[in-house]
Amino acid sequence: MTEVLAAPGPVGAPPDRDVLLEVRSLRTYFKVLDGIVPAVDDISFSLKRGQTLGIVGESGSGKSVTALTIMRLLDIPPASIGDGSEVWFDGREILSMPLDEMRKIRGNDAAMIFQEPLTSLNPVFTIGDQIAEQVELHLKIKKRAAMDRAIESLQLVGIPSPERRVKQYPHEMSGGMRQRVMIAMALSCEPKLLIADEPTTALDVTIQAQILELLKSIQQRTGSALLLITHDLGVVAEMVDNVIVMYTGQIVEQGTVHEVLLEPRDPYTMGLLESIPSVEKRGGRLSAIKGVVPSPFNLPPACRFEPRCPYAWDRCRTVPPDLNRVGSGGHLARCHLHTSEGAGRLPDALQRHRTALNLGRTLPTGGH
Amino acid sequence: MTKYVIRRLLQAIPVVIGITIVTYALMLAAPGGPAQKFANNPRMTPAAKEKFLKAWGLREPIPVQYGRWMGLLNPDEDGIAAFLGPSGWPNFLPTGISGADNGILHGDFGYSIDSGEPVGSRIARAALPTVILAGFALFFWLLIAILMGVFAAIKRYSFFDQAATVFAYVGFAMPTFWLGLMLIFLFGVNLKWLPVSGMTETRLSPPFGSDAYWTYFGTTPLTALQDIGKHLILPVVTLVVVNIAGDSRFVRASMLETLGQDYVRTAKAKGLPNRVVYFRHALRNALLPVVTNIGLEIPFLFTGAIVTESIFSWPGIGKLTIDGIRNFDYTILMGVLMITSTIVVMANLLADIAYAFVDPRIKY
Amino acid sequence: MAQVPGPAALPVNPGASGPDEGGATDYEVNLKSLTQFELVWRKFRRHRLAMVGLGLLITMFAAAIVGPIFLPFTVDDIPDAATKAYEGLPPFCTNYLATSLPHTCASYGLTHPFGTTGGLQWDVFTLVLNGARTSLLIGFSSMAIGVVLGTIVGAIAGYIGGFLDNVLMRIVDVMLSLPLLFVILVVSRFFKDQRDNVWQIILIFGVFSWMGVSRLVRSLFLSIREREFVEAARAVGVRDRRIIFRHILPNALSPIVVAASLIVAGNIIGEAFISFLGFGVNPYTPTWGNILSNSLTYLLVGNWWWPAFPGLAIIVTVLAVNFVGDGLRDAFDPRTRA
Repeated sequence: MTEVLAAPGPVGAPPDRDVLLEVRSLRTYFKVLDGIVPAVDDISFSLKRGQTLGIVGESGSGKSVTALTIMRLLDIPPASIGDGSEVWFDGREILSMPLDEMRKIRGNDAAMIFQEPLTSLNPVFTIGDQIAEQVELHLKIKKRAAMDRAIESLQLVGIPSPERRVKQYPHEMSGGMRQRVMIAMALSCEPKLLIADEPTTALDVTIQAQILELLKSIQQRTGSALLLITHDLGVVAEMVDNVIVMYTGQIVEQGTVHEVLLEPRDPYTMGLLESIPSVEKRGGRLSAIKGVVPSPFNLPPACRFEPRCPYAWDRCRTVPPDLNRVGSGGHLARCHLHTSEGAGRLPDALQRHRTALNLGRTLPTGGH
Repeated sequence: MTKYVIRRLLQAIPVVIGITIVTYALMLAAPGGPAQKFANNPRMTPAAKEKFLKAWGLREPIPVQYGRWMGLLNPDEDGIAAFLGPSGWPNFLPTGISGADNGILHGDFGYSIDSGEPVGSRIARAALPTVILAGFALFFWLLIAILMGVFAAIKRYSFFDQAATVFAYVGFAMPTFWLGLMLIFLFGVNLKWLPVSGMTETRLSPPFGSDAYWTYFGTTPLTALQDIGKHLILPVVTLVVVNIAGDSRFVRASMLETLGQDYVRTAKAKGLPNRVVYFRHALRNALLPVVTNIGLEIPFLFTGAIVTESIFSWPGIGKLTIDGIRNFDYTILMGVLMITSTIVVMANLLADIAYAFVDPRIKY
Repeated sequence: MAQVPGPAALPVNPGASGPDEGGATDYEVNLKSLTQFELVWRKFRRHRLAMVGLGLLITMFAAAIVGPIFLPFTVDDIPDAATKAYEGLPPFCTNYLATSLPHTCASYGLTHPFGTTGGLQWDVFTLVLNGARTSLLIGFSSMAIGVVLGTIVGAIAGYIGGFLDNVLMRIVDVMLSLPLLFVILVVSRFFKDQRDNVWQIILIFGVFSWMGVSRLVRSLFLSIREREFVEAARAVGVRDRRIIFRHILPNALSPIVVAASLIVAGNIIGEAFISFLGFGVNPYTPTWGNILSNSLTYLLVGNWWWPAFPGLAIIVTVLAVNFVGDGLRDAFDPRTRA
């Protein structure tokens, strides 16, 4: 259960003032019975103050591990962090920081909301206790004042009659209520960064929309930055400024939400978008990415998406692709199509993607 | 909550009745039986003998015997009238109402076959040493088991954890009385550090529990306490070592499970120091199953006391039991069995109630 | 439409794949199907402590059965007057310096690895081996009785249910509230025949070790009886007895086996204690408890080895049984991998 990190490598220069969070070539490994699994494999990104960033990927793509690594919540061992990994938060490198310093950041400057509101609250303490405990610790105020603050933050997340609610235990509340409590708890110390790890996955669809709306409005009101982790492209479209798509621990595409969702340039992202069922596609066949996510013990040698990629060619089996610049801005895609070798194949691939997206719309089934 | 307690109390009643039946059946089936045994005991006065035979109805049919022993039936009446006590109220009601004073319902356990002393007062006299021994043992047992289990879980796979595992396996496999013997040899015979037998130094003080002893205790209480303390060490160590083995594993497993829970991660994400995460958020939850387990282990404390007391000649219930078995002292044995089993039932009940009390999720 | 295996977390996979459905074929593996026994054994073999325990148990049994035949001493040997001494010899000691007091050992050898007893100068190693025979017999046989009784009672209570279930479970409650060691002591003191009474002791321990198993079996029956495969069996008209023995019991086997290992351990220690107090097996039959009981007087003159070795034998046996129990629990657990 020790949380001591291995001696970090040399630390580079801090990022600009307006960058709240910068992750540089982060690698996180897990030691399991059968060997070592690279859960996060060399990812870098940055998040400016007050902005929102979405990380999208399937289960096992490393998105949650990324968040837990940033918060330093992974148990080391079995986890370990690769040499040269850096996480800069608010001008300080936090992976090499003593754990006592890190604790002053956790829950105070950087707060996290977890996927399972049902199990993320301690069943034997009242929710008031659980929120006030954090406030008391970080803001160094008296118990009574902390409890008032807890009531305030419950009010902020739209929980009715918070004075009564603080005395209740988690099991007396519904799942949606508990997630609101989690959000209230995370916001209670006015963090600069809010990490939400699949905040709505465990909730009913109707509650999901409410919680997302709440997160968005609070984020805008308080001006905190939001790192939203989800597998749901719809949520991303609603909520964030920039998007990172992860696959087997790597970033495969990143850019603004507009670029990634409307002009995807990585075959994996294209596949994800093609597979979303929509009303327009009624009657047509749903498409899915063929095959399954490879086992982390048996990753394809070069491009990890190659066995499932409809556009792959020889080069994809021999040379691992880099993150290549697409267009003029910060749009990046991990695909050989965007190198000089693949340039010839790009138009065809884009055409096929467009056809797949429009399949339902162009095939007349009587209605259109 | 009150409703829950009452329901659990009502559920305990058939169990206690079952215990009385088993106890009585055991005595009935025993060869000889108390009547015969009494006939040969010169230390019992004829009056006490007659009173006993009548009170227990040993010349009557078995259901009547059982009824009189229990105190359901008035020994001075026959037929239906026997259900009523001297004052006209049902006989089983407390003495103040029914006027009856016979049977275990009224605290009358009969007379010891061996010594002729009333069983109730004999057991009461032996209870104090056992309570002292068991109390100390229980305190250290729980304290050490919980600390060991918690630290083994926090420092999982560390040297301490592995040492605790080995200790638990060996302690669990070790017969209590053998450990007692080895301690006696090491600290009593070989090193001569500690007394190995009894509760007090017989050359210095009168026998524990006698009036003379309390006079002695009144004059030099510190010396007396010190003396008892020295005699306590080996029996307590024996009981504790054997009992913490299983419990420390139980606490460790429970703690490990709790440490893997999402709310522990939440507590860490809130920036709480480890001390608070482990001892407030995790331990509180990890101890919930332990509470029930302690209730279930009270019988082991008692059997442990039988063993330990017989090894160390501790003048408590355990020694009384062994002597009773040796001397075929049925009445004493029935009294001890009744009282200890009832205590076990009550302990389980208390554990359940305590569980409902500490876990807010339990609805009463 | 072929189902594509894969994680369903993304809205990518539900439904069929496109024109190319070859993805799934990569993941077909030729699996030899194993019987439950083969699976359990394969997992059990990997459990290092369990294998050590099994080895120890087999050695113990072998030594207990054939050991006494090959050893140069028997329990009935009476020493000749010349070598007779009050105190026994410590481990590996062959004889004392005759005159010195306290005794110091004159020479060492392998004749008495565990030393000899005071008084009759018996070889402690031989005693422990002889004791193993009876102690193991009592531990395992009484466990068998307890498990059979407990399984029957639990199966009846769990399968039939209703009033009978209620009565049986209240009986279990009562029995579990009694301090069992106490009851066993009383029963063995009051009822056993003083001559050859090993079987009576086995019976007494057996009769008082079924309650835990019956609770376990009952709860398993209650849950398994509701499972689909039992309903299916009942739907096609399988008789109750066949459902119990062919459909439910095999599924209840693993917790029973684990509980059985705990009973063996408990009964070996329990037997040792009641024999130690002199209420157990006839004192002329060597059991570990009897050996310990006889050693008491000599412990006070310093002959620690007399009680130490039978006690260690108990510890090693109980450890071995517990290791095997742990190994079986893990091996039966479908969540651990073969």
